[in-house]
Amino acid sequence: MPHRTFLVFIAPSILAMVLFITLPILSVIVQSLFVQHEAVLITVENCTPFGCEKETRVDHAAMQALREERPLGQFAGFANYLNRNHLAVDEIGAILSNNQGFGDTLSRIFNLPFYRALSFTLLYCFVVTPLAMALGFAVALAVNTLPRLMKGPVIFFSLLPMIITPLVGSLILSWMFNPSGILGASLQSLTGDPGLSLRASPIMTWIVLLVYGIWTNGPFSFVVFYAGLQTVPQDTMESARIDGANRWEVTRFVIIPHLAPLATFVALVQLMDNFRVFEPIVGFSAEANATSLSWLVFNDLVGQDAQLFGSAASTSVITIAGVLILLAPVLLRTWRDFNRKAA
Amino acid sequence: MAQIRLVNVSKRWGSYVGVDNFNLDIADAEFLVLLGPSGCGKTTTMRMIAGLEDVTEGEIWIGDKIVNNLEPKDRDISMVFQSYGLYPNLSVYENIRFPLRVRGIPKAEHHERVMRAAAMVELGPFLERRPAALSGGQRQRVALARSIVREPNAFLMDEPLSNLDAKLRVSTRAQIKNLHHTLKRTTIYVTHDQIEAMTLADRVVVMNKGLVQQLGTPTEIYDRPANTFVASFIGSPAMNLIDGDVTDGIFRAEGMALPIPLGVSGPITLGFRAEDVQVVPQGGQLSATVYSMELLGDATLVSCRIGPALVSIRAAKDFRTQIGAPLHVAIPPSAVHVFDRSSGQRLSDNTGLPAQATSSKTGAA
Amino acid sequence: MTDIANRRPLALKTLTTVFLVIWLIAAAFPFVWTVWGSFKVEADFFSRQSWWMAIEGTRTQAQTGSAFTLQGYEGAWIKNEFWKAAINTMIVTLSVTIISLTIGTLGGYALARSGYRYAFWILIAALVFRAMPHITLVSGYMLPFFELNIWGVLPTTIIVLVAINQPFTLWMLHSFFLSIPKDLDESAMVDGCTRFQAFRMVIMPVMWPGVITTGLFSFLLGYNDFAVTSMLLSQQNQTMVPKIASFLGSIQNEGNVMFAVAAVVSATVPLFILVLFFQRQIVSGLTAGAVKG
Repeated sequence: MPHRTFLVFIAPSILAMVLFITLPILSVIVQSLFVQHEAVLITVENCTPFGCEKETRVDHAAMQALREERPLGQFAGFANYLNRNHLAVDEIGAILSNNQGFGDTLSRIFNLPFYRALSFTLLYCFVVTPLAMALGFAVALAVNTLPRLMKGPVIFFSLLPMIITPLVGSLILSWMFNPSGILGASLQSLTGDPGLSLRASPIMTWIVLLVYGIWTNGPFSFVVFYAGLQTVPQDTMESARIDGANRWEVTRFVIIPHLAPLATFVALVQLMDNFRVFEPIVGFSAEANATSLSWLVFNDLVGQDAQLFGSAASTSVITIAGVLILLAPVLLRTWRDFNRKAA
Repeated sequence: MAQIRLVNVSKRWGSYVGVDNFNLDIADAEFLVLLGPSGCGKTTTMRMIAGLEDVTEGEIWIGDKIVNNLEPKDRDISMVFQSYGLYPNLSVYENIRFPLRVRGIPKAEHHERVMRAAAMVELGPFLERRPAALSGGQRQRVALARSIVREPNAFLMDEPLSNLDAKLRVSTRAQIKNLHHTLKRTTIYVTHDQIEAMTLADRVVVMNKGLVQQLGTPTEIYDRPANTFVASFIGSPAMNLIDGDVTDGIFRAEGMALPIPLGVSGPITLGFRAEDVQVVPQGGQLSATVYSMELLGDATLVSCRIGPALVSIRAAKDFRTQIGAPLHVAIPPSAVHVFDRSSGQRLSDNTGLPAQATSSKTGAA
Repeated sequence: MTDIANRRPLALKTLTTVFLVIWLIAAAFPFVWTVWGSFKVEADFFSRQSWWMAIEGTRTQAQTGSAFTLQGYEGAWIKNEFWKAAINTMIVTLSVTIISLTIGTLGGYALARSGYRYAFWILIAALVFRAMPHITLVSGYMLPFFELNIWGVLPTTIIVLVAINQPFTLWMLHSFFLSIPKDLDESAMVDGCTRFQAFRMVIMPVMWPGVITTGLFSFLLGYNDFAVTSMLLSQQNQTMVPKIASFLGSIQNEGNVMFAVAAVVSATVPLFILVLFFQRQIVSGLTAGAVKG
């Protein structure tokens, strides 16, 4: 296809992506270097017949003028990245130089908001992805043995946890896990502990969030693996059987190698999606015990009086860097393949 | 008038050379076949003529115009694709009518022209069907009808028979030959099948690795292959090629001794066709043991090994022997082709041909 | 599955069946339970005493005189104007789907048919963009949108969702276009079409399955989005999902969590219908990217 025709066809898509993906990324980087204006305080003297009082308050008019003049806020360099709410360089330094053993160091670092969010995000990513894939693979193997008539309805129900709006899905589960919801109440009576609440301890909250993650991500792996199972070469399976392989060996030496490239694809997509985990934290109201990088950004942006654009932007930049690190192996491999092909 | 002329045409992708410095004059109403193994650049050449591929260097002329920068639709050609490229959502009738529709030919003419084209390829009963409901041979004929309905200046055909079974291939081949005779249009036909090339072509271009190996009539190419590549590509079985050395005018290889009256010496490659030599009970220029014997029906093919080469000899249909039995072959001087060992180029200009064919001139590049 | 080679031992068969039944309960029960519960009063659905009350509807019977009640739906749809949010969702998702498909088919077709290496790099860039967390992009939009005074309205949100969706749309349509033989557009062009005519008259008519499948995913993206819609829409322009989230903040205190339950069920129904009718396309769409990419 000639360059000109190509350009005409692709221009709208490129334009949309440049305007609303590339530019926002640049905008985030710029914003991350600024902090919101400090409140302009004025002291006014209120004189009443009983005497004069001095009062300090925020000068709204001056703030307004300041915001209009410099909407980005004050230039702060890398201060946003380094402050307590992000990389917390000073605090980490203090913790490392003065602590009472390894456990203390960890728990104090974990109390810093950014590291708390980062650790849960990574945990979610690397626990949910493999477990959801294992679940999906098991379901795919099981569904594959069903009679044809049963497959349709089973696939229908299996798709639901994936297709559901994430916020809605997490709300539904959260209501069931509520101490007075069906699962929460049953758990209390099973353990005989009336104080047992999934909200109460970080560990329980984490487990519930991970269960939700596996529940909602499993079906994607299932669908992809199930489709992959339909394309397993029959000849190879049959020759493996004739060569004396049992059921497990056929799975191990024929089916799994056949699905391996699909598994790489699924793992990549799921890691990317799980890294932005966000809605379940809102849905489960779990922010007291578990936060994620995306949630930190969200929290800065919905701030009641002032939105902390600078803070949100620097978390965003760090998150984007995280995504790029996750993607790096894929990008490097593509780059090498491409150069080899070209050479 | 549709002479097609290619002047120094090259196609490169980065450092990969698809077609290298191709020169060709195709006369009006000629049937030209581009022949070669897959990846030799024959399809690329045709696609450049059609305008589906950019030309990296050189000029392509159709009639009296340079068409390098013309869109395919402005070149007044039609093309039959290897997998036919039928429009699956249109009926056979609409498929054939499509070129008339998009070219804005007056509606009143459509029906008559579609019916005429359909009749030429015997598609009458299938006009209302969708392509999916047709057999491979019928789809092939729809593609043919679609390409002739517009009566363009030139037809291009890209391996049109390769997806058909052997029997249908023979009858469709005959149909294409007959259509060309009726329509008298310039036709360029790409194939890797040397039998199609031999049966259809006025002239054949043999290509390999982007280079023209030989240009000539089917007889010239069969009887006087320009190099070892052409020799091994044309004919069934292909020409036997044996590496050996000439000393004092005698060619020697394992089990072989043969006078070469050419004045060459040193390493050469010697070629002869299976049907040009005879099995003899004693003597002969080649002695070996039988490696295999195949009955073809009209003849018996005996093979033996000379060094790494497997040599085939066509014997009478009632000839019988055993694997491992001794074999003697007489090679008449007129059957011998001599090629340079390192370049593969033909050396024997004055031998290896039946007397009557020597007069035709060769167009070897 | 009656041949000897595929006959399975009883133990394996039982295990498979039990596993599948457990999975199906896990997958479907939350929905069944919530739909059922949405017709109860809060004291039943969130019963401290026994979940049996939610099944029988004891309190519902006592409070409303019937085992089922529409109070939750009434509260959500009428009192809290959930219908406005539903209309907004419809506008947003339909626009996103249509615009995405229009510019996506053009772009995906170009990417599938161009042999040049920049097409490859555009696809790789799209892959990277696809991985960007939406909320990080949103934090890039907010300030400029405030400044330009286009924050809070539906068209802005629609365009943003289209753009965010575009990398995925391009990939998916690109792989569908790759599955259409090149011969088809080439014969159209030899037959007398321009590139665009070939695209419109020959390629699009056979692309419908791919377009429908991709459209489904665009629809789902627009419908399920929370990050963009919750941040970029003003209160009165909210779509369903941020509206549900705002219920949580304001209503839980008033003891009317059932409004949120009813709203959640209402928002789930269209998705059920979608899966019911387009199950095959969804499955093929998920695998198209996987098998070919």
